[in-house]
Amino acid sequence: MNIQALTRFIEEYFIFISLLLLVAFFSLSTDHFFSLPTLTTIMNQLPALTVVTIGMTLVLISGGIDLSVGAIVALSGGVIGAAIAQFGLSLPLAIIFGMTAGLLAGFLNGWLSSYGKLPAFIVTLGMLESARGLAYMTTNSQTVYIGSSIQQLAQPIAFIGVSVSLLVALLLVIASHFALTRTVFGRYVIAIGTNETAAKMSGIDTKPYILAVLALSGLLAGIGGVMNAAYLGSADPNAGLGLELAAIAAAVIGGTSLLGGRGSIIGAFIGVLIISVLQNGLAQLGVSEPSKRLITGAVIIIAVLIDRWRTKE
Amino acid sequence: MTKPAEQETARIEIKSLSKSFATPVLKDVNLSISKGSIHGLVGENGAGKSTLINIINGLLPMDSGELFLDGHRYRVSKMRDAMRAGLSLAAQELSLIENLSIAENISLKSFPKGIVLLDYASIKQRSEELQKLVGLTEVEPHTLVNKLSLAQKQLVELAKALSANARLLILDEPTAALTGPQADQLHRIIRERAHQGTSVIYVSHRLDDVLAVCDTVSVLRNGVIVHTGPSNTLTSQMLIKHMSGNSLLTHEHDKERAVGKPCLIVKKLTTADLPNPIDLTCHQGEILGIAGLAGAGRSELLEAIFALTDKTSGEVSVITPNACNTIETPQQAVKLGVGFLAEDRKTQGIFAGHTIAMNTTIAKLNRVSNRWGKLSDLVEKLQVDGLIKSLNVKCDSADQTIDKLSGGNQQKLLIGRWIHAEAKILLLDEPTRGVDVSAKFSIHEQLRELRDSGATMLVVSSELEELTALCDRIIVLSNRKHVASFKRGNWSHDDILAAAFSEYTNEKIANEKITNEK
Repeated sequence: MNIQALTRFIEEYFIFISLLLLVAFFSLSTDHFFSLPTLTTIMNQLPALTVVTIGMTLVLISGGIDLSVGAIVALSGGVIGAAIAQFGLSLPLAIIFGMTAGLLAGFLNGWLSSYGKLPAFIVTLGMLESARGLAYMTTNSQTVYIGSSIQQLAQPIAFIGVSVSLLVALLLVIASHFALTRTVFGRYVIAIGTNETAAKMSGIDTKPYILAVLALSGLLAGIGGVMNAAYLGSADPNAGLGLELAAIAAAVIGGTSLLGGRGSIIGAFIGVLIISVLQNGLAQLGVSEPSKRLITGAVIIIAVLIDRWRTKE
Repeated sequence: MTKPAEQETARIEIKSLSKSFATPVLKDVNLSISKGSIHGLVGENGAGKSTLINIINGLLPMDSGELFLDGHRYRVSKMRDAMRAGLSLAAQELSLIENLSIAENISLKSFPKGIVLLDYASIKQRSEELQKLVGLTEVEPHTLVNKLSLAQKQLVELAKALSANARLLILDEPTAALTGPQADQLHRIIRERAHQGTSVIYVSHRLDDVLAVCDTVSVLRNGVIVHTGPSNTLTSQMLIKHMSGNSLLTHEHDKERAVGKPCLIVKKLTTADLPNPIDLTCHQGEILGIAGLAGAGRSELLEAIFALTDKTSGEVSVITPNACNTIETPQQAVKLGVGFLAEDRKTQGIFAGHTIAMNTTIAKLNRVSNRWGKLSDLVEKLQVDGLIKSLNVKCDSADQTIDKLSGGNQQKLLIGRWIHAEAKILLLDEPTRGVDVSAKFSIHEQLRELRDSGATMLVVSSELEELTALCDRIIVLSNRKHVASFKRGNWSHDDILAAAFSEYTNEKIANEKITNEK
């Protein structure tokens, strides 16, 4: 392999290499990072952020933004909690209700920002407040205990060693990566995010796609709510606080442009891994919470700088 | 001073100024305007008027040449230099900030400052004076510009230009949106200013106005000043002759060609921008040109046909052997086999940062996907490679990003997008804008081939030579009205140009305002 090919390889897989370097760094500098308990902790935290980031990435690529995902995670959890604790519904039915709540909120976001011609930023900012309010209402502002049945979803399955939640999240990563890169739907979403005028002039009806992407983001946040509730075993009205920002950060680290038209689901997933590894690794190093946040913030900005430098040429 | 003392130094002197983009736009232009003189500048679209004005105002760098203001060397690299030197421009594309008030816009260049805050009282006073001067008294100085009509905005632009008390006032189409009396008032002000010693460059399509208000008129043709003379020795017919240069528009295939059945019918179409009903019938295998001056409504007509703008009345129908469908949305238009090549490639055409393949197949993805919507890279690559070859696009592969290609190659691919979409009717707005000469010929060749295969085209171009080289028929729009149509072999540059100018005479404009106000 000559030097040129090596540079191209590094450029192509830059974020993946960064992730490996990060893992290597923490493994060497701490005693317990490369161990089963740490791995389990990371794997438990992953699913919710991953599915929410998938939705966020799609919305960002379409040229929009979804600030309401964190609140929808709490709302979905709250609906599940209420369905089980107050109405005595079965778990599968409760989960369906939780996901439906997310889908409806996302659909409303999408409808207002496409057919209602309102900016996605404002619409989803409003939804952030409203969904959070609804989450408090469904839980009576308290953490609602759901029970061990839902926690099964977060427990590793025998032989595979991976939880149902994580399995579902990984499948969704693959499916949405396929949808974005290999289908007409994905191609249209990219086209609209790159140049909406040119998309319209190419005969694309842009509104249904803008609606679909935000509805999808709501549904994925609803699924994220299920995963979060499974992880906690309860419905927490404060769940998912600031999750929208973590999702945007993961997407951006993974090479997604906030201006729309450019991004990758796999990249965003690696972004999620980088954030999780960073959080846990820094904790193991004994870094204080304030310093952790400082470093995470710096990493996001550095990632964007490097990305711009890479794509500029 | 090398000049003899008795010869007065000119206010502005332009010495052998040249400028080219892909092709030369201004060639060795020499122009001298004396103090207190009003100098008219006329020419066809693309003759170089705007480029000349932009260079004088520091908006474009010149390639070579020298400028002198009152005998001193004048160097300009940005708009601020021009302002400091005492130039003031009222631009055709109004330079107002929509969210600020009239008063703030007028004072934007030089805010009178209080100790810390802006001195709003004097801003308001200045605005009132200038509004009175230009006859814009029906609105208060604090009115936001976005609340004003186009004519009112134009008056604000003029007030802003007049506020500077400039040595040299440059007015680009100052009366485009004004009524007769408003224009008359403007002309009175200009004469007054000229009397006080200000020099004026006056650019306009309205030849009557130019002849009435200017002392001297220069005619630009293809970047060369072909005539300069006192306005009282000129008539508008003479100006048109100078602009066209009696150029011969004969081409090899000058005979009328046979065309097929009607396939696109425009009936009594009007929009907010095109108040006068337009009727058109296009046939299979026909190239129909749309000529007219900038702002005559050419692009607006194409956009209305493609349903990008809302119709106020009339209809557009596409006729196929089996059916006759009207176009109500751009999506329908594309489904009915109509394609649109927009004027601005960057903002309306290409998907920047994406591959040639993605850019080419976007208008008809079902040709490269199965019925479940799964794309096939292989099919896409085969189809795009075929197009790259037949359109002679210079690129490495279909996976290359489109940004790296030259303008001409990008334009070929955008035409390729509609070939890929199997469009039968193409609406082309300035199909060779900003491409080099060889790409231009190759695009023309491609369009002729498409025509021979039965496609129909509507072409808007600012270059009359392009239209006469391509078209079977040319219609002329003047001031948003369909005023004439010519068949191949029956046209001359003079006739087309005269038709293009025909609705800009004062008499016609006065009549129009009366009917509009009724």
